[in-house]
Amino acid sequence: MTPGSPSDVAEVAAPAAGSAPTTASTPRTEAATAVSPTIGALLRRGRTWLVLAGVLVVGVLVLFVIQGGVRAQAGLLDPESPGSRGSGALVEVLRSHGVEVAPTRSLDAALDAVAAADGAATLLLFDEFATLDADGLDALAASGARLVVVEPGFRALEALTPGVRMAGAADGVLDDADCDVRPAIRAEALSDGQRLLTIDDDARSAGWHGCFSQDDGFAAAFGPSPGSGGGDADPSAASAPLSLVAATTVFENSRIDEDGNAAFAIGLLGATPDLVWYLPGPADAEATAAPTLGELTPGWVSPVLVLGLVVTVVAGLWRGRRLGPLVVERLPVTVPAGETRQGRARLYARSAQRTHALDQMRVAAIRRLAVALRLPRTSEVAAVARAAAAATGRDATSVMRLLVDELPANDARFVALAAALDDLERDVAAASRPDTGVRPAHPGPTAAGPTTTTTATPSDDQPGRQR
Amino acid sequence: MAVTGRFVLLVALGVVPVVVLGGSGAEAAWFALLGWLALTVGLGVLDLSLAASPRRVSLIRDLPAKVRLGEPVVSALTVVNTGERMLRATVRDGWEPSAGVAGANRSRLVVAPGERRSLRLQLTPWRRGDRRTEQVTIRSAGPLGLWCRQATLASPGRLRVLPPFHSRVHLPSRLTRLRELDGRTPMLVRGQGTEFDSIREYVRGDDVRSIDWRATARHVDPAARGGTKLMVRTWRPERDRRIVIVADTSRTAAARVADEPRLDTAWESTLLLSALATHAGDRVDFFAWDRRARARVTGVTGSQLLARLVDAMAGVEAELIEADWTGLPAQIRAVTSRRALVVLLTAADSPGSARGLLSVLPQLTARHTVLVASVQDPEADAAAARRDTLDDAYLAAASERARLDVDRVAAAIRQSGAHPVSAAPRDLPPALADRYLELKSAGLL
Repeated sequence: MTPGSPSDVAEVAAPAAGSAPTTASTPRTEAATAVSPTIGALLRRGRTWLVLAGVLVVGVLVLFVIQGGVRAQAGLLDPESPGSRGSGALVEVLRSHGVEVAPTRSLDAALDAVAAADGAATLLLFDEFATLDADGLDALAASGARLVVVEPGFRALEALTPGVRMAGAADGVLDDADCDVRPAIRAEALSDGQRLLTIDDDARSAGWHGCFSQDDGFAAAFGPSPGSGGGDADPSAASAPLSLVAATTVFENSRIDEDGNAAFAIGLLGATPDLVWYLPGPADAEATAAPTLGELTPGWVSPVLVLGLVVTVVAGLWRGRRLGPLVVERLPVTVPAGETRQGRARLYARSAQRTHALDQMRVAAIRRLAVALRLPRTSEVAAVARAAAAATGRDATSVMRLLVDELPANDARFVALAAALDDLERDVAAASRPDTGVRPAHPGPTAAGPTTTTTATPSDDQPGRQR
Repeated sequence: MAVTGRFVLLVALGVVPVVVLGGSGAEAAWFALLGWLALTVGLGVLDLSLAASPRRVSLIRDLPAKVRLGEPVVSALTVVNTGERMLRATVRDGWEPSAGVAGANRSRLVVAPGERRSLRLQLTPWRRGDRRTEQVTIRSAGPLGLWCRQATLASPGRLRVLPPFHSRVHLPSRLTRLRELDGRTPMLVRGQGTEFDSIREYVRGDDVRSIDWRATARHVDPAARGGTKLMVRTWRPERDRRIVIVADTSRTAAARVADEPRLDTAWESTLLLSALATHAGDRVDFFAWDRRARARVTGVTGSQLLARLVDAMAGVEAELIEADWTGLPAQIRAVTSRRALVVLLTAADSPGSARGLLSVLPQLTARHTVLVASVQDPEADAAAARRDTLDDAYLAAASERARLDVDRVAAAIRQSGAHPVSAAPRDLPPALADRYLELKSAGLL
């Protein structure tokens, strides 16, 4: 209540307003109690979790030390891997039979290992991502070691054996060696999951032959080294300088015990006392790659990118730190009162209760008509209809049909009847007060009561007007 | 702890040394980056260690106890720096959103050690009831303005927001009507509920039936020889009637009619009727009732009444429970044993929900005059008249049905001897006041 309010209201309500600012709290000088915890309190409260996290970290470190550091990711045909796709099993067996296995990951190391083995070495080459270029392949072929190329790529085939091509996957177990290569004869069969190589006539004439054939393809192919000129290849294939095995299946831990895989792999790789297991690594690719993006851009670009990241994080901290806890608004319940009305209307509409809906309007209209025509509340419908017809000059039968008899046959008729009811009420209201000439907005339940029509003209001699 | 925008800017400025030194090579650029980050963090830590503690502060609130809904009020908060360092603070007072704080509620204060500064917030509450604040959050920046310390301090405050009493605009006209009824314009009609006021000389226009012949015989007219003056008796409405206003706070009161909850309409009606009745010399008692009395103002008269009423109403909200009317007659009997005017502010709009009320009405009407005031939905009237499309027609039918229900309940209320009053939310308070004046002038109280 402001002091400028009307005096008579102020006299009543001024004390209620309490406009005089009375202090709600007395001044205090002691420090306010903090609700938010200090950092020390936070640490104390989270002690349990901190201890748990510490134990977890220490445990992980201990486990790490026991396991002996991080291993290189166990890849396909990894000679150290005991995983299902590695080749640890084969390598262990070979080692136990006295074969020196030297895993390498770079071309130079592989060539060094071959040189160190004094020429009597076997080199397994599995170039999963086709990293080696033609020069590298030529260098390997010229190294003097027996080459076993597993799943040769297009580039390797092009460089080593121009006449041999990959020809899709084999179907089922290959149980016919069909050649005179000793490991193949010993193996007798290779398991499911092989792939095939085709050998064209040129290659065949150059001394290439295959084992484990299916249709026109072979799971393995043997031939002379490209540098050696060919033609006089030793048919005792264990010493064949170049062997191609189309699939990795033979060497994988998970498949090596199937059919003759183990015999074939050991026979192929265990022929010499030294085995160089060469999986080309990233170092081989780098030497030949084009200048990278990092080399082309100025030196400050990467630091600026990192700085941008740091600024983003700090800006997030700046905007994200809330100034105090959220304040909850306790909202009261409120319900729109018209909901039941609308719900009922939709129920009528969904079940197409035209007659029932129209009845509601008819009952209400008849009540209001009775009031407007100053008939007693207990009047019969027929009496109301007659009086309404008389007041408006309409046909009594049609009014009766509108008020009671007609059933709405369809939606359009229903809407028309509803509107006609409204029109009738308006007409009756206008007829019962011709002096005003102004139609009321809508006759409410009490708006057209007898007391409001005391100024009716004498010409209107409705029964009951004098009440 | 928090960082400021200035710190973000400082970190971003690191792009200058990184680019300048990066011209000579990538290594130098990386070192420049690391060096810059170390420098900024070092500055931040230095700044943080020099910032004043936001905990070594005491807070004093100066807050008006009450305000009427919709009116602005100033809340003052004094921050006393009890530490030894300069406090450069950003302060947020934790008011509820409905307290209507003007602006962003972020105040910057610089308080020297041992001094105090006051911050003033303008509040314009937009909801009735108690608006609260529980805490004040202070973010204290260091001298460089890079890193901040932050703490939330308990500082409870409460602002009671009173119902607005919009309907007071109707009061002057009703008071005029009341004066016409009252002794100032004496009535010559005698009836139940009126009491003898005075005898005065007859003037033209007075009802001849109220001439008191015995008094006339005693009053000799000095002007006319042997004649006497005609004297008439005057009557005035009885004073000191009891009025018991019962506002229903059950689930029906939560309904919002024409964008105003029924409860708020009830408060407006109560305030207007109480103001009027106090002027008329009647005594008003008030309950907010659903299954028990939520608020109660009894035995207060005069100017104190409205203050107590608005205070009692401020904290009451509608509950989502069904009203239990059976306990009400005992409550009223406890207030007054005399015949009283009982005003029930409720929702009498459907036979189902009004059954409980209708069952106790005969008990009440046997002893008291009972008014049942309820809000009528103006949208129902508008919807009943709109019949253009199919959906409109169905809605009109449902609205007619709702109005028939209202009529049916009103008839039942009338049958049990009570007086129904229903009007649109804005019109209900004056309608109720008019009905009260009617009853008073008819001597039915």
